[in-house]
Amino acid sequence: MKKFSTIHSSFIVDFTFQNNITILMGDSGTGKTAAFSFIRECMAINPQILCLNYLDYQKNIKGILSETEGKLIVIDNADILLNDETRKYISLDDKNQYLIIGRNPKNLFATKENLYELVSEKIGEQTKFTLKSYL
Amino acid sequence: MITIFKDKYDIPKDMEYVELNDLFFNQNTVLLIDERAEKIIEAIDNTKLLGKYKICSRFNEVALDIDRLSAGCKTVLNVMYYPEKVFCMKECGDNALEVLYGLDRGYVCSEYAMIPFDMDDVEVQEKSGKRIIHDYEELKEWWQDEK
Repeated sequence: MKKFSTIHSSFIVDFTFQNNITILMGDSGTGKTAAFSFIRECMAINPQILCLNYLDYQKNIKGILSETEGKLIVIDNADILLNDETRKYISLDDKNQYLIIGRNPKNLFATKENLYELVSEKIGEQTKFTLKSYL
Repeated sequence: MITIFKDKYDIPKDMEYVELNDLFFNQNTVLLIDERAEKIIEAIDNTKLLGKYKICSRFNEVALDIDRLSAGCKTVLNVMYYPEKVFCMKECGDNALEVLYGLDRGYVCSEYAMIPFDMDDVEVQEKSGKRIIHDYEELKEWWQDEK
């Protein structure tokens, strides 16, 4: 999945992924978790999406990922959810597209091409979220 | 000033360590919210506190439950309202770190460097003791030192 877009009330999410792993970072309060919640809503009807966040803290995240193929996997609260072993697994996983919301690229073998921030743009009464290169 | 741990095993046994700031805020800190939170919420999330449990969305100005604050903002509020506990600081963006480092007291932990560009003095604590660090480079060096 190279693109993902959805609408949630007055919000539009329009993401284009340039890499297998997109790390979404940036200041607090920019809307990252809001965007996550809009993508998670799509899980109800789109089996190609898997969303994980701090509510999955006690689960075996690596186990879940290793049983998943061909999905957009969106992980919020990644800095507390992903241990080193899971990060290494993700870095080598070519079967899924990852959107990782966090600030620590450790063990993901990321370069600046993997680092993005959220851009919010007002369009009339709507707010559109897109991705922009972080560096 | 705040006190920083770089290893959660350095935290004294009689201090509680909180990693899930979202959950802790939603279940505990929310009950203590008062006017002291207003400036912090405005500074970090660029939003207004409308009441004890309501904020105004920065995007469409609708009223939202206070649980929609960012994890970074919740972390700073957790530290401020519970200065005897240690909170994970890994979910703080630069804007939240700037406010966090300016708090009068509180304890935080991260295994890797989380430093705002414009930092105040901080205390760092390991099993071997405590010391005060005044500048960015010195703090970065402390974080990079072998444990």
